[in-house]
Amino acid sequence: MRILIVEDEKSLADIIKKGLEEEDYSVDVAYNGEDGLFMAQNEPSDIIILDIMLPIIDGMTILRRIRKAGVKTPVLMLTAKDGMADKVSGLDSGADDYLTKPFHFEELLARIRALLRRDSEVKTCVVQVGDLFIDMASHEVKRGGKEIALSAREYALLELLTIKRNKVLSRTYISEHIYDYDFNLDSNVIDVFINRIRNKIDRGYETKLIHTVRGTGYMLKG
Amino acid sequence: MLSSIKARVIIFYVAILFIILPALGIFLYISLGKIIYNSVDSSLLSGAKALATLVSNENGETQFSFSDEIMWEYNSIKAKNFFQIRHFGGTTIEKSKSLRNLELPLPSDQNRISYQTIDLNGELARLVNFRFMDYGDDEHEKKDPVVRRNASGFIIQCAVNIDEQEALLKNYRLILSLSIFSIMMISAVGAFFIAKKSLSPIKEISDTIKGISESNLSERITPRNVPKELRGLAASFNQTFERLEKSFKRQKQFVADASHELRTPLSVILSQSEVMLRKERSAEEYKNALIAIKEATGMMSEIVGKLLAMARLSSDKLELKYENIDLIEIIRKGVKLLTPLADRKDISINISVSEHPIIHGDRAAILELFVNILDNAIKYNISKGKIDISIKKEESFIVTEIRDTGIGIDEKDLDQVFDRFFRVDKSRSKTTGGVGLGLSICEEIVKLHGGRIEIESAIGIGTTVCIYLKENGYIAVN
Repeated sequence: MRILIVEDEKSLADIIKKGLEEEDYSVDVAYNGEDGLFMAQNEPSDIIILDIMLPIIDGMTILRRIRKAGVKTPVLMLTAKDGMADKVSGLDSGADDYLTKPFHFEELLARIRALLRRDSEVKTCVVQVGDLFIDMASHEVKRGGKEIALSAREYALLELLTIKRNKVLSRTYISEHIYDYDFNLDSNVIDVFINRIRNKIDRGYETKLIHTVRGTGYMLKG
Repeated sequence: MLSSIKARVIIFYVAILFIILPALGIFLYISLGKIIYNSVDSSLLSGAKALATLVSNENGETQFSFSDEIMWEYNSIKAKNFFQIRHFGGTTIEKSKSLRNLELPLPSDQNRISYQTIDLNGELARLVNFRFMDYGDDEHEKKDPVVRRNASGFIIQCAVNIDEQEALLKNYRLILSLSIFSIMMISAVGAFFIAKKSLSPIKEISDTIKGISESNLSERITPRNVPKELRGLAASFNQTFERLEKSFKRQKQFVADASHELRTPLSVILSQSEVMLRKERSAEEYKNALIAIKEATGMMSEIVGKLLAMARLSSDKLELKYENIDLIEIIRKGVKLLTPLADRKDISINISVSEHPIIHGDRAAILELFVNILDNAIKYNISKGKIDISIKKEESFIVTEIRDTGIGIDEKDLDQVFDRFFRVDKSRSKTTGGVGLGLSICEEIVKLHGGRIEIESAIGIGTTVCIYLKENGYIAVN
């Protein structure tokens, strides 16, 4: 899952990026409103974390412009103001959630998970696909009661497949959503990762959960 | 007790009643007494005159021609009318049977009609002493001095028992006293209620005031419920509440703004420490986190410092020590303090003055004022820019003009630069620093010194700040 952070306080943006990356998200950062607006419109993201007070273009304007341009990515507002009016105008301008500074990192993670589940069939933190269980909070994966150890990238891929389960995902889509802006795209890498998680999840089981749709991409289906 | 208006009203009212009502009672009592005695006296006198017509002196002998009708009221033992006829000198000639063995007292002055109240055998009686000369019937003889000289004189004393009248007056006195006493009591109670009633609007106002607290400061005393006399008071209270409310609002806004400013560095600290604590880290990672936390703390302490400076200026005005200070000396000191900062951007600061104006002010505050302005002039200046400081006189003010070649301020922002926490650049990033309090502090300082501060700016050309301070003399430059 790919997250865009638009925050001008560099040390705050950087530590959020670090924390989120450790949670196996890929993270892009914009330190001002102009870059933020550009990236929100041009980079595929699953969530945008948007500060309100920004240099050059403020967060509220970015929000209105991307919604006008048809970007439907869920937006989590970060605001230093806790007045009701600010929250209301943010939500009314197209934000999906808000968090008041200072916030607890755990809460930010929980809200991100909730936003990711929002448009998905998945509505809880622990997801079952066939006899495969995926806990999106602790990143624990089990099949038939047996724990499966996955690397960060492998988990990120499995989580993406889980959230978009029963849907065919193209290699480009997958790479765009599990890698950040700085990554040099090579969709063959996706095939490698698919093979790896296939080995860990499907090998030795009668029912295969990861399906290849020829010419299109991959799908997780129980 | 006397500190209460109600008690005072009652006491004054009752005191007045206690003077007026008894005085009225005494007056009424005396008037009635007079009326009664006058009527008794006049009937006694006519009785005496009637008796006189029946007395004559013939050949040295006194003749009485009393008829039974006249004697009827005197001669019964039980009669309440008495008479006694004497010669001049006192010899009794005749007296009524009603007097029995008693004597009416001889008047001290026998030459005129006199009235007196006497004790007649334990009963009160009114007595008239009537002097009467018998000159005979003949009109001519009456005027004859010889006749007049030989005429015999009588004193006719008539008295009447006045026990009844006295009883009447006594009754009257009793009734009068009782009614006056009850009127006073009723009035005192009435005064209590009147006082209470007329003071009730004060209680209402006081209740309204009591009910006003921080949470409902917008409530006011409704003027139309207040009597005319108290409207001024109510208006004063309302004005006080108005001012209180404004000051509370400002205070609240200030606190809200301050807490808002502190949120960003706080979230840096919180996020850094929470992310760090999620798992074991390398020494390098901990170090970076601590640096970020330290920087955030530094920012917070700058904000807190500015907030305190602000609070000090607005609350402890009296702590400023006013003295005569050399303005140029202060400006030079400020420039010196900021020279390292200016050197870093290669900015030249130029002071052009011909005189040393003296102002009356607080040394530390004036220094802070110039340091803040110069700090902005450096911070928002271009590399290798210039700052020109010049001083001129305008009416009673010394005007210090600080002109920079900086980035300038947009016209739409110019009105707001003195607002607390206003920043032209909405960014809080450390590159431009600023917590948005510098110019607010400057304005506060200048206001405290009875001056003003003006700012004009053009984007890309620079900003000029004019500080007006009251002049207090000059030192000539050698």
